[in-house]
Amino acid sequence: MFDRRIDPGEAWREWLEESAPRLLAYARARCNDAQEAEDLLQDALIKLWGYQKERACRPPDLPLAFSVMRYLALDRGRRKGRREKRDRKIIQFQSGEDHWLDPTLEDSEEAKLLRNEVEDLPDKLREALTLKIWGGLTFAEIGSLLKISHNTAASRYRYAVEQLQKKLKHLHNIKNG
Amino acid sequence: MDNALKDLELKLESLSPRGLSDEGRKSCHQLIDQLVDEYNIPSKTPDKGDRNWIGSAAAAATALGIGISGGWYLGMNKTPSLHVIDEQSNKASNALAFEHLDREKWIFAKEPPNVYVTKSGEIREISREVEVTEEVVQHRESGVVVTIETTDHHVVDAPKSDF
Repeated sequence: MFDRRIDPGEAWREWLEESAPRLLAYARARCNDAQEAEDLLQDALIKLWGYQKERACRPPDLPLAFSVMRYLALDRGRRKGRREKRDRKIIQFQSGEDHWLDPTLEDSEEAKLLRNEVEDLPDKLREALTLKIWGGLTFAEIGSLLKISHNTAASRYRYAVEQLQKKLKHLHNIKNG
Repeated sequence: MDNALKDLELKLESLSPRGLSDEGRKSCHQLIDQLVDEYNIPSKTPDKGDRNWIGSAAAAATALGIGISGGWYLGMNKTPSLHVIDEQSNKASNALAFEHLDREKWIFAKEPPNVYVTKSGEIREISREVEVTEEVVQHRESGVVVTIETTDHHVVDAPKSDF
């Protein structure tokens, strides 16, 4: 049983409010649409609750939450027998106005540009970037989550940022003639 | 990392990911309440004596095994002994003694995939995935909950599409 001095429901709701955008950003990088990402988050909640029963029902650490999200996403993809379809859709999931990042920069045009370029990054690079920038994980945690070395995680992240910079530079050059 | 990249990092950080939709938040809150409620249902706390069923079950299984083996050895090819009938009824009673609470399955990769080229020139990748099945059962009499975890290893061989 959990510690009754702390309301676990309240603690989990607070945790969700704080962590949901980060977890959803990651889920969106692995799912076809916003609805599926939210479904994945709910599945993860059930799984995480099961894990945290042994830890006085405290809300989980973020790395564990990301890890569960990742495994559930893999399982979901496999169960539906659509691994290849998913890979295709990951590239296409940002079609239309179904975006997963809110541009809040003052220069909204640049923010939109940046957002589009992030969404167009290759899967592995976007995953490392998402976990670092919006997930707030360290390279060691990302490495552990993705079963790669922390150096590889850092390289993927750096490569992603460099690719973004190149693309933005190119787009600016085109724009400025 | 040079200043331009640092600057880009800051810009990326300012792109905040979108949160849950109103409907999604409501569903998640309902789910949390449900999980808390279910966990909150008072259950009988197993005492030391209750836990003995695990040991007793193991001892009974061993004794049953010896009994069956002994019966087979002594009876050889004769008609099935009572021990066999006991075993069948024991299996059924064991199944009745436990309540199935939950069953979950997930898959994870233990290592990055290996890429290879087939004779026809197709680029494929092969990886190993581990499928974990977790079953939770509860002993009806004592209330003790046991988690049984089984793992299966699969080899996944698929065309490589991401470079």
